[in-house]
Amino acid sequence: MIPILAWRNTWRNPTRSWVVIIAIAMGIWAAMFMTGFATGMSRSYIENAIQGLLSHIQIHQPEYLQDRSVKSRIPDLAVLQERLEYEENIANYSIRTLATGMVASGNATRGVTIRGVEPEMEKQVSNIATKLQEGDYFESDRKNQLLISRKMADKLKAKLRSKLVLTFQDMEGTITAGAFRVVGIFESGNAPFDEGNVFVKRQDLNRLLTEATADPIPSGELAHEVAIMLRYPETLETTESVFEKAFPKLQTDTYREAAPDLQLYESQIENVSMIYLTIIMLALVFGIINTMLMAVLERVKELGMLMAIGMNKLKVFLMIVVETLLLGLIGAPLGVLLGSLTISYLGKNGLDLSSFSQSLQMYGLSEQVYFDLEPSVYVQIPVAIFITALMAAIYPAFKAIRLRPVEAIRKI
Amino acid sequence: MSVITTKGVTKTYNPEKIPVHALNGVDLEIKEGEFTAIVGPSGSGKTTLLNIIGGLDRPSNGSVQINQTDIATLSDNQLIDFRKENIGFVFQAYNLIPVLTAKENVEFVMLLQGKSKAERDSRVNALMKAVGLETKINKRPSELSGGQQQRVAVARALAPKPRFILADEPTANLDSHSTANLLDLMLELNQKENVTFIFSTHDQRVIDRARRVITLVDGKIETDEVRA
Repeated sequence: MIPILAWRNTWRNPTRSWVVIIAIAMGIWAAMFMTGFATGMSRSYIENAIQGLLSHIQIHQPEYLQDRSVKSRIPDLAVLQERLEYEENIANYSIRTLATGMVASGNATRGVTIRGVEPEMEKQVSNIATKLQEGDYFESDRKNQLLISRKMADKLKAKLRSKLVLTFQDMEGTITAGAFRVVGIFESGNAPFDEGNVFVKRQDLNRLLTEATADPIPSGELAHEVAIMLRYPETLETTESVFEKAFPKLQTDTYREAAPDLQLYESQIENVSMIYLTIIMLALVFGIINTMLMAVLERVKELGMLMAIGMNKLKVFLMIVVETLLLGLIGAPLGVLLGSLTISYLGKNGLDLSSFSQSLQMYGLSEQVYFDLEPSVYVQIPVAIFITALMAAIYPAFKAIRLRPVEAIRKI
Repeated sequence: MSVITTKGVTKTYNPEKIPVHALNGVDLEIKEGEFTAIVGPSGSGKTTLLNIIGGLDRPSNGSVQINQTDIATLSDNQLIDFRKENIGFVFQAYNLIPVLTAKENVEFVMLLQGKSKAERDSRVNALMKAVGLETKINKRPSELSGGQQQRVAVARALAPKPRFILADEPTANLDSHSTANLLDLMLELNQKENVTFIFSTHDQRVIDRARRVITLVDGKIETDEVRA
């Protein structure tokens, strides 16, 4: 009887009930929108980082991560490469030689990381080839080709075919330099990255690094970083441990370990989502309390009569709680449906934030955000609404049971 | 056999500030099957007395025994259960539950009592027939006239088979025709089923048909007239 009575009571004032139901639905929609947006941003940031240069797993000589010295190269590269070819879960990998130095034009000089890459390998691992705005991606066989970013080009006042000088320490610690010609200008969408990196062919960089060495290292043997893209990213941790065991003298890091800011970003996004969810739920609590208080106060006489004829306080309390929960039970599926449709649409088409592209690029974020939600959120949000409705029901329900029948109905 | 016995019942409202003495030592005995009207001018304590007899309010002093139970000693929840099993209420403003049909209103207290569906259906049908509304069982209160609503209220009061029915000015909102019909119904139930009725009323038509008339003045019983 209580559910039937509560259900019918809910529809005594349909307008008021619909206002609360819509408020609940909108609250859920807003929570899903915010969480979907935050998750989409987070995934896009991580994806950008992985697709940029980070990849799923990176392997270095441990000292390299401390001193960034060209001397801290990966030993026995051929053995590592053999293993990389053998592992089924490795989709692609790229071998990189890295040097820290300066790039100079006739007008300016900038500090950079010089990334020597195997163009075909790199193409399979990072998306730098797709970010070119001008020129080409090491298409010719000419020596000393250079890719720089648009920002770098602007700062150096360089353009396609400009000749720039790269200066860095070679394997002997001697300052060496090489003249490189700009063959491509890229814009990665990540401003800090663009300001600090240039790309050359690995063989060119290796030649400059080793040509003055007394005991020359074969050019193919010199590398400082191996970036790996996995076929199944969910096997990240297990693949990492496979390489850690196989190559204990090398440092194998997942992208989370290689860039701890990603993990921090992920957790902060989650925290921000929780804060939004809490604010929305708090607003809903007060909205529901207000409505249910009105529903109780306008039925004071009737509630008094119910207690007079024998409805005990527990049942009155439950009736008010059930009435409140019913509002949530109607509003929650509506909100989840609305939220799912929005997430589904924006997950496919994305939200265009190109009007904020400059500031987004500063933080390595995409201007097109593809919404995404963990499946668990579809449960968490309705559960949060259920708890919210339950909390909101308590005060009006207490108010109802504290009525004294004689005062409520004034006279029998 | 006594259904209600009050001894020295007093009720003082607002005792610490400006005391209002609504009842000043009421001794009363109501026997099973009585058809009693409690009358008196406004402020004489009629409603207070009914509230106390009905277990809706507690006396300041004195005792109220209903079927040998001193209801002043019961807790709020015990009182609710006691009312559910022993007392039927008919309110001046009908006070039916607007979202339930006539049948559901009558059935409601029996549901609270935990009666079986078969028992409820049989009793509801019998009561709706007794009050002459067997064709209106699926109507909501808003679809019934005032007189019909009050008949449903009487059926509801009778549904749990209470020891007695308390009715506060039950005809106050009814026209002459509905008042006559309601009084006929209540007298019939009183005579045929030996249901005890206690009214508070100003209505001379009710007073004329009551078999016992208790007059309250200033919270005291002034006269207690039993008619043949």
